[in-house]
Amino acid sequence: MNVYQAVRDAMATAMAKDDSAVVFGEDVAFGGVFRCTMGLAEEFGKERVFNTPLTEQGIAGFGIGMAAMGHTAIAEIQFADYIFPAFDQLVNEAAKIRYRSGNSFNVGALTVRTPTMAVGHGGLYHSQSPEGFFMGAAGLKVVIPRSPIQAKGLLLGSIRDPNPVIFMEPKILYRSAVEQVPIDDYELPLGKAEILVPGQDLTLLTWGTPVYHCETAMHVLSNPAPELESLIPQSMRGVKIELIDLRSILPWDMETIVESVNRTGRLVIVHEAGMTGGVGGEIASEIQKRCFLKLNAPVRRVTGWDVPVGLQYEKFHIPDAIRVVDAMIETLTY
Amino acid sequence: MIRPATLHRLAYPRVSSNSLARCRAIPKRALSSTSPTYLNEHLPKSTSPIVSNPHFFNSVTPDGSGIPTYRVLDGSGKVLEGAEVPEVSEEMAVKMYENMLLLPTLDNVLYNVQRQGKISFYMTSHGEEATIIGSAAALDNQDEVLGQYREMGVLLWRGFTLDNVMAQCFGTEEDISGKGRQMPVHFGSPAHHFHTISSPLATQIPQAAGVAYALKRDPERRGKNVAACYFGEGAASEGDFHAGLLLASTLPSPTVFIARNNGFAISTPSSEQFFGDGIAARGPGYGIHTIRVDGNDILAVLDATRKARELSLRDGRATLIECMSYRVGHHSTSDDSFAYRPRSEVEDRKRIDNPTLRFRLWLEGRGWWSEEKEKECKERLKRDVMKSFKRAEGVKRCEVGELFGDVYAGEEPWMQREQRAELASLLRKYGKVWGPWKKELGKFRNEGEDLMGKA
Repeated sequence: MNVYQAVRDAMATAMAKDDSAVVFGEDVAFGGVFRCTMGLAEEFGKERVFNTPLTEQGIAGFGIGMAAMGHTAIAEIQFADYIFPAFDQLVNEAAKIRYRSGNSFNVGALTVRTPTMAVGHGGLYHSQSPEGFFMGAAGLKVVIPRSPIQAKGLLLGSIRDPNPVIFMEPKILYRSAVEQVPIDDYELPLGKAEILVPGQDLTLLTWGTPVYHCETAMHVLSNPAPELESLIPQSMRGVKIELIDLRSILPWDMETIVESVNRTGRLVIVHEAGMTGGVGGEIASEIQKRCFLKLNAPVRRVTGWDVPVGLQYEKFHIPDAIRVVDAMIETLTY
Repeated sequence: MIRPATLHRLAYPRVSSNSLARCRAIPKRALSSTSPTYLNEHLPKSTSPIVSNPHFFNSVTPDGSGIPTYRVLDGSGKVLEGAEVPEVSEEMAVKMYENMLLLPTLDNVLYNVQRQGKISFYMTSHGEEATIIGSAAALDNQDEVLGQYREMGVLLWRGFTLDNVMAQCFGTEEDISGKGRQMPVHFGSPAHHFHTISSPLATQIPQAAGVAYALKRDPERRGKNVAACYFGEGAASEGDFHAGLLLASTLPSPTVFIARNNGFAISTPSSEQFFGDGIAARGPGYGIHTIRVDGNDILAVLDATRKARELSLRDGRATLIECMSYRVGHHSTSDDSFAYRPRSEVEDRKRIDNPTLRFRLWLEGRGWWSEEKEKECKERLKRDVMKSFKRAEGVKRCEVGELFGDVYAGEEPWMQREQRAELASLLRKYGKVWGPWKKELGKFRNEGEDLMGKA
């Protein structure tokens, strides 16, 4: 399965076991612009899988209403770039309903899925990574998977989590990432990072699409192509990088990252969103506080620049492997 | 597809005050006197007839006179000629009237209590008693209500107690609406099917469509319950109004939208809020059965809401009621409305078009109410309210730790856990000596012991 098939499979699994579950959004009935809801309307009926008018604030508000009645609402925002009209409903309403009502109402049954991150040619409004904007919205959970297995398990975990969850799917991975995905029902825990490659010299922390840039960067470091060899010190060949997929942005897994950095003494954070006000700043600050005596180099952030995502400039904008390589070298040789 | 309920074509009454008359003047909307000639053709995928002459139009009524206002009782409590009194028993009518009287009784006490600094904020319902109680009486008590903030009367109608009201406004540990976390008048109660009020305007409107869709999917409640959604004419300018009506009509969902058009959004008169024919004129644009009602006539509101509810249940779709009234009170305790409207206008309105007096006169005409009953009822209500107010004054707040509660369900994230512990250690260190905290801790149950541990 690729990622879109895994997402579809997760929704089908959730709907099969929960009669209250519905899937809605713009163009989801025919299968969705990314094929994530293919065949769901035929399988579960139009009352459970339906198009909404083109209104993101409406989609979020509608989902909140259904979830307030205890129904499982799986809403889709077509691109994460278009989630901002729903920002008020998500931040002022969904995030705060349980708290403000003293736990007498809640919208825990709401999940908002949305494709995120750069896709090669998305320009300003089909490329954004808005997870950082939601990081201060206590009451929400924000989850980003990296692969088909992760997508299915984390999405099922999100749908069943008793809190409203924004589930951001890296859209470039919809078709490109393929792996064997269990067809049975399984969940992956929210709020937990995953150590993908253990190491002891540097912690490399990321989520979503840049997981693959980081993986490439680690290969480049240990085994550079001939044309790069002169640029990468020999001493880098044997370093052991610990690669971590954060998976949950809110709440983020502080314990796993602190434990890792206390072992490695070095941290590089990689994300596609701009640096200023990004998730990396939050994590860097917390790690600096908790691992101060163990840090051998400043926490380094490799991110999109603080500019919109210009169409023809994308290759120079995103934090690709060479930028990660360079940051790791500087951090390791600090 | 059925046509909207028959409307009585009666012009809104003009009152003597010029300002009021101006306020009610409805501009002519029709732009062209030439009516289109319909050819017997259609576009593909449309049933819209083809015409050969350009004809702009700007009104949902053919003559541009504006949507008429449905009314049953005139200003002196007499039934209008041709009007039909909706079915209402003596017991129910008296209950409606007593609830109308209860609102200003509560409002007066709590308004003054705020003025004395005992509660932080308050908003009255003065002038909208008929709109709120009339619609509440027409709804089933199990119908889900999503309000704006001036709808306390719906809760009272459903049995939310005076103690519940006081607990919320004082933010005591008895506050079932929100453990003292929200500002006063932000009520809520699942038992009364009243979704907790929030300050952001109009957010409840698309939520209501979702609530109604859920009701339609629930075999236990399908065809039995609607979502009733209240909002002011100012809130109707928000994007969420558009989204909500669009969703409820298109998806569709049995939602009764009740717009309280009271002429003002804080200081902004409705003439600066919209140029069209009020809120009602928008309903047909969304394909929604719509009616405009005299919001100061409780029988008209009762009847219109009942019929809207029936239509919504029958078709599984949205309906819209625009209740025309006048905000007699200030917007809130943080507002002095005489800064933007003359005191005389308000006084005129109170005297000439009083929803409570109008209903009282009708009740008296039937022999269902009297001067003695009025006196007894007002005294009793005042006594009950004062008793409840005095009681609430002595009740402690929740434990301080509730500051961190209910942000998430399930395992508490480390941020809340650590920050709770941090506040606890700060309180242990400074709680007994730092004036602002010391004084405040005394108002909470256990005075912070839940965090600090026993002294």
